[in-house]
Amino acid sequence: MQIRVNGNRLAVDAPEDMPLLWVLRDFLHLTGAKYGCGIGACGSCTVLLDGEPVRSCITVLGDVQGKEILTIEGLSKDNSHPVQQAWQELQVPQCGYCQSGQILSAVALLNETGNPDDEDINTAMSDVLCRCGTYPRVRKAIKLAAKTLRKGEAT
Amino acid sequence: MKPFHPNRRKFLKLSSAAVGSGLILGMSWGCSAEDQGSGNSSASSFSPNAWLVIDNQGTVTIFVAESEMGQGPYTLMPMLLAEELEVEWNSIVVKHASLDPAYGYQATGGSASIRKGWSTLREAGAIAREMLLQAGAAALQAAVSDCKAAQGKIIHKPSGRKIPYRELVSSAAKLPIPEKARLKELHEFVIIGQSIPRTDIPDKINGKARFGIDIKLPDMLYATITHCPVFGGSVGQVNASKARKIKGVIDIFEINEGIVVVATDTWTAFQGKDALEINWNPGKNTTLSTVQIADRLKKLSPGQGETTWQEGDAEAILSSGKTVVQADYIQPPQAHIPLETMNCTAHFRDDGKLQIWVPTQSPSKAHETAKLTSQSIIKRGLNKLFGAGSDDIEIQTTLLGGGFGRRLKQDFVSQAVQIAQRFKQPVQLVWTREEDVQHDFYHPLTLHKMRGALDENGLPVAWELFVSGTKISASGISPPPYAIANTKVVIKNTDEAIPRGPWRSVFAHYNAFAAEHFLDEMARAGKQDPLDLRLRLLGDHPRLQKVLKAAARGAGWPGQAGTGYLGIAAFSSFGSHVAEVVELRRSDKQGLVVHKVTCAIDCGVVINPDIVEQQMEGSIIFALTAATKSSITVKDGQVEQSNFHNYPILKIDETPEIEVIILSNEEEPGGIGEPGVPPLAPALANAILSATGKPVRELPVKLSAIKV
Ligand code: FES
Ligand code: FES
Repeated sequence: MQIRVNGNRLAVDAPEDMPLLWVLRDFLHLTGAKYGCGIGACGSCTVLLDGEPVRSCITVLGDVQGKEILTIEGLSKDNSHPVQQAWQELQVPQCGYCQSGQILSAVALLNETGNPDDEDINTAMSDVLCRCGTYPRVRKAIKLAAKTLRKGEAT
Repeated sequence: MKPFHPNRRKFLKLSSAAVGSGLILGMSWGCSAEDQGSGNSSASSFSPNAWLVIDNQGTVTIFVAESEMGQGPYTLMPMLLAEELEVEWNSIVVKHASLDPAYGYQATGGSASIRKGWSTLREAGAIAREMLLQAGAAALQAAVSDCKAAQGKIIHKPSGRKIPYRELVSSAAKLPIPEKARLKELHEFVIIGQSIPRTDIPDKINGKARFGIDIKLPDMLYATITHCPVFGGSVGQVNASKARKIKGVIDIFEINEGIVVVATDTWTAFQGKDALEINWNPGKNTTLSTVQIADRLKKLSPGQGETTWQEGDAEAILSSGKTVVQADYIQPPQAHIPLETMNCTAHFRDDGKLQIWVPTQSPSKAHETAKLTSQSIIKRGLNKLFGAGSDDIEIQTTLLGGGFGRRLKQDFVSQAVQIAQRFKQPVQLVWTREEDVQHDFYHPLTLHKMRGALDENGLPVAWELFVSGTKISASGISPPPYAIANTKVVIKNTDEAIPRGPWRSVFAHYNAFAAEHFLDEMARAGKQDPLDLRLRLLGDHPRLQKVLKAAARGAGWPGQAGTGYLGIAAFSSFGSHVAEVVELRRSDKQGLVVHKVTCAIDCGVVINPDIVEQQMEGSIIFALTAATKSSITVKDGQVEQSNFHNYPILKIDETPEIEVIILSNEEEPGGIGEPGVPPLAPALANAILSATGKPVRELPVKLSAIKV
């Protein structure tokens, strides 16, 4: 079976009913998406499917055919995506385990809304859990990234 | 100037170990021989002790023996060493130290890293600097007293001539370890005290960071385990025929702790586990429940406990007809739930070595566990591959996706060793979240009974604190810092069948809640302002007084009528002093919400202010989860919760604004990973008391259900 991940067409020999999370991790060794709950409740496994955030632990391989999958590894080559830069600038991660899910959810939000307010952030991010408590910085970093992105558009 | 005398034997031992091949091998895990430099006769590098290698390119590699679980040791420990070594921060490469006796017993917990490293790492840096200084002075043909070390160079002060460390590594490596080295004064610090960005962050924003669960090895197999749901039970009969039919399932077998499924990938292993039909022997705990434990604790009285501290005669005052305030507080068990579930990868290699990759808070304990387990395997004649001595065990600590105390236990290491001994390939054991929630070592259920007496002015004059629960919660209670003439602490340790272990801030968490909330109950009964009362009774504790004042000021204490309800609490733990103010507001929907938490910390000398702030934010959110959302309940010997839907943790939309105020001073550094936890629950309860007039006697408290 072929899937498109981070702009590459890749062949995988996995059953169609296997969740994408495990295809990425155990077959393609793209370990950025993390297992946290397996039931769609924590968001650690978030990837973007045609730009939409999905929980890869409950999205099966058979359903991603012909779609573009973006994982954290494909966001930029050098930490240069404005969301990554904001994350670095505000020192968001602690243990770091949930952060791929946080970052990709933020990327999806900013694709939708150039200037998210607190309510937008709550709606987009409230199901991405962080046991270390990085939420205050996640919120600030989204606003910072939004600012950078808007500036980029203006120039 | 503060000269110190390094323990000569210790440093000599490190030094000789460092130049011998033994330690170089031990330290070189994960990096090539070139990375390590030789540190020996060819002397292309300089490694005066186990924490440091400087190579002839000028790269300074600092080895960190502590586990990185988000609390910052990969940044903080190198900062301590680099400060004394006089090198530029950007010339530093940080690597995780593999397990080595040179580092002592390797375990990260009790917010102790900085407190330990404050002397050792600065001394390690200072010794290296002195040796480079001697080598540099010789190279510059100058007197040592005319030279200084700065920014990775030795500089001849009168002439300004300089020579970089990289050109001195071979000559410095030949020098004896100096008898003494000067440690810098606080005002000389250029690295310590700066908010230096964390070294582990760049890889944590691009998916490159390797946690235990991310280890990938050639031909690796994947395993998962199911434990008997009832504590203390065992495997009865297993029907594995359905599971074995699943494509990709390789083997199913029993180990000490349960049934293991090995497969070609994690998901297939999980599928195999779900397809097992198991009749467990539930054992003797089938009637065990948290309700029953709580009932039993409620019936206990101080007379049944042991008095561990006493001043004055609390009992006499309490029965002398004064106003008596009385309260019982019950706190439920909590689970750790780091976001990365328990896992461990083990490989019995052809050459007889057992190699282990594990996210652990204690590589030393992991090693002991692996050794014990493999010895028992050998004894039972079960292992054919493992012929070599059990000392051939190598532990590599990965990044930890959270710890909070859970990863001080090494049950998953023993399991991985038992599993891997059956295979030639490496095997990665990964627990499901359900197993993780149900087979934790819990922060145990604890009950406090408090009695206090007030004098005619409404001031407390007697306090009896009685705590009952398991050793890990009850025995840690210390007398409150307040000057109350008649105080008595009584402990009753009970033994429960629910597994228990340290949880972020351990007993401080329970005892702060009960003591600090009760103080507000007494203040209310005596018509005292809770902040004034604390300040008045804390005459001997200026550091606590200061954090209380700072937090109160930051929060706008006592608040304005009609806007929010404030509660304050303070607690000293792990060498630091923290006060927190919780501001509650009416929710637009129902009940109350936490609007803001203001936190003031005095942790002595501040190594990295931004990391202190991170740890306070994280601790407050961790504590808010336990105070308002989560709890573990046990019924029929089993944990009733299993995943985030029924053990909910705080979300971003429930997270209040958090303001952190750091009071810096010149005291010895204290811990930062845990001290932010204890004051939160009592500050919250005190705010509820102020909003509703009703105390909180049991946690967690549902804020949306509170009527104002
Ligand atoms: S692992 Fe997918 S949502 Fe938790
Ligand atoms: S940073 Fe540790 S779980 Fe979010």
